[in-house]
Amino acid sequence: MSAAAAPSSRREGPPLVASPDDIMFLDGITKDYVTEAVTVHALRRVDLTIKRGEFVAMVGQSGSGKSTMMNIIGCLDRPTQGRYLLDGIDVTHRSNDARAVVRNRLIGFVFQGFNLLPRTTALENVELPLVYRGVSSGDRAKRALKALQSVGLADRLHHTPNQLSGGQQQRVAIARALVTEPPLLLADEPTGNLDTRTSYEVLGLLQELNRNHNITIVLVTHEPDIAACASRVINMRDGRVRDDTYNKEPVDALKALADLPPVEE
Amino acid sequence: MKSYFNAIFLAFRAIARSKLRAALTVLGILIGVAAVVIVVALGTGTRDLITGKFATLGANIIFIFPQSTQSSGAKQSGGGRMTEADGEAIAKEAQSVASVVPWNVAGGQVVFADKNWPTQIMGTTRGYWAVRGFTFAKGESWSESDEQLKTKVCVIGEAVRQALFGDTGDAMGQYVRIGRYPYRVIGVLAKKGNSPFGEDQDDRLLMPIGSFRARVLPMPPGRVMTLMASASSELTADRAVTQITDILRQRHHIQPEDESDFAVRNPLELRRIVETTANTLTLLLSAIAGVSLLVGGVGVMNIMLVSVTERTREIGIRMAIGATAADILVQFLVEAVTLCMFGGMAGTLLGVGFIRIINAAADLTMAVPIPAIVAAVGTSAAIGVIFGFLPARRAALMDPINALRNE
Repeated sequence: MSAAAAPSSRREGPPLVASPDDIMFLDGITKDYVTEAVTVHALRRVDLTIKRGEFVAMVGQSGSGKSTMMNIIGCLDRPTQGRYLLDGIDVTHRSNDARAVVRNRLIGFVFQGFNLLPRTTALENVELPLVYRGVSSGDRAKRALKALQSVGLADRLHHTPNQLSGGQQQRVAIARALVTEPPLLLADEPTGNLDTRTSYEVLGLLQELNRNHNITIVLVTHEPDIAACASRVINMRDGRVRDDTYNKEPVDALKALADLPPVEE
Repeated sequence: MKSYFNAIFLAFRAIARSKLRAALTVLGILIGVAAVVIVVALGTGTRDLITGKFATLGANIIFIFPQSTQSSGAKQSGGGRMTEADGEAIAKEAQSVASVVPWNVAGGQVVFADKNWPTQIMGTTRGYWAVRGFTFAKGESWSESDEQLKTKVCVIGEAVRQALFGDTGDAMGQYVRIGRYPYRVIGVLAKKGNSPFGEDQDDRLLMPIGSFRARVLPMPPGRVMTLMASASSELTADRAVTQITDILRQRHHIQPEDESDFAVRNPLELRRIVETTANTLTLLLSAIAGVSLLVGGVGVMNIMLVSVTERTREIGIRMAIGATAADILVQFLVEAVTLCMFGGMAGTLLGVGFIRIINAAADLTMAVPIPAIVAAVGTSAAIGVIFGFLPARRAALMDPINALRNE
């Protein structure tokens, strides 16, 4: 662990120098929302390092700053202060367009509400990130097909979102996030709209991607059962990291699924 | 750059998804383009019709006829006298005049067998055919010796031929009678139709001017009622008028302060006035039709703004997965332009269809105005860019976080 090598002169805690192992390196990230009446400190000098291949669950109550955190690490928002390195690249002060490219190249997004384009087939939804990468249409279809196969939806290519169940929609969204083969996958309450069974299915898929494809996953949730599947749990509170614990034995989602009582027909 | 092609595809699909809305949106553009196409076709059609009628008078023709003068408010009787010698002088001295012919006319009855026909009987010289642009359907002109000998020969127009000899009858070599004298028909003129003044140019009988003076309408030798000159070109017509006026004033001994005892008329002038009027009218109507295009553009902007608002979430998704502001801008701009182009093309079809119907109904040959179509469709594309820009910019400037949160 080379990350421990550079002690901070300013404060206790994580190092200020990013290591090549770090997919994410946050240094004193602060986010203030200034309104006419008050200034809300959504994030207060957060230092955080996430290594490649980690499966991180970010938990915390609403207002704890975890959504703001997701927006910043997802390059959708800029911090008020601090420095953010993503995959070794300082993205803190990049232009909107540059951050769009970063999102396209380095990050896959999975949302609570699935956020698929309506009236658009699964295949086309999955192709979308490749469109903005300038991939030819033949290549797009090939890669989108592969991504959909990897989430087990090869037989639903031409279904539109309203013809798919919630779990299937979320799997399409995961395929869309994976199609660019990003090193990082951000999932914002991915199981929030799903029942327990489907939640475990989706989670199992994420665990499989994390294990077998070495994709770093950061998942926001408020469900302890879901967080228990992660290898690391970061607990946010009042814009700070309150707890940062490593799960020695994360729950295997597929096993948990198998252990669920059978559904009454 | 990468997403232009895709943007066109997306635009087609977005439009295909809401056909009725798209159709209503571009209605203004459609009507505007159709109106422009129809107005321009009508305008150019009218102008061509007028120009065509003027062309039947003969290329660059100038008419010269005697005119009574006024002296102290009292009209002097008789007016000026014009002679063939005047015409010869003009032909010789006026540099911008190619040729001059004398022309006399009288109404009269032409008789063949049991048929008779009232027509215009004209005496002129062989140069007349070229000056007035007549060609022969049958036979040919009289000769120089016919003019010198004042022989009893004539050339008839198609209307006269038809009246006297029936639909298919051959007039050649037949004798027609005018007053007491028989005239041999030696030529039939090709059909010409009406002049711009509404006169039937096929209803006439022509003979050597000497024969005319001797037997049809007795007159002193050399006297002419009208001289017809042709300018050497359209550009020199105005100069020819001045030259003719100067020569005749001199020959008629008119003092600088006195009025001419003749008038010189250049139909080209009249044609120019008519054409200018037609062009101005076309321009004005096109401008009004153009306003409809503009209003149509505002309609497109309105609907595009609605569409952008409705699709806020879609915009957020696209941005989250890597669309740049330019990608979004292009997407909506291309959609607006495609919409307007559809309107433009539909308007063109409507306009062309309308022209076809008018042509068929009114037996006209209005041409489809290709430049106007290109301009109208081009303008609708430009309207798409101009009026699509604001909504597209609004979409491109959205904050992805807020856009994603939008329900």
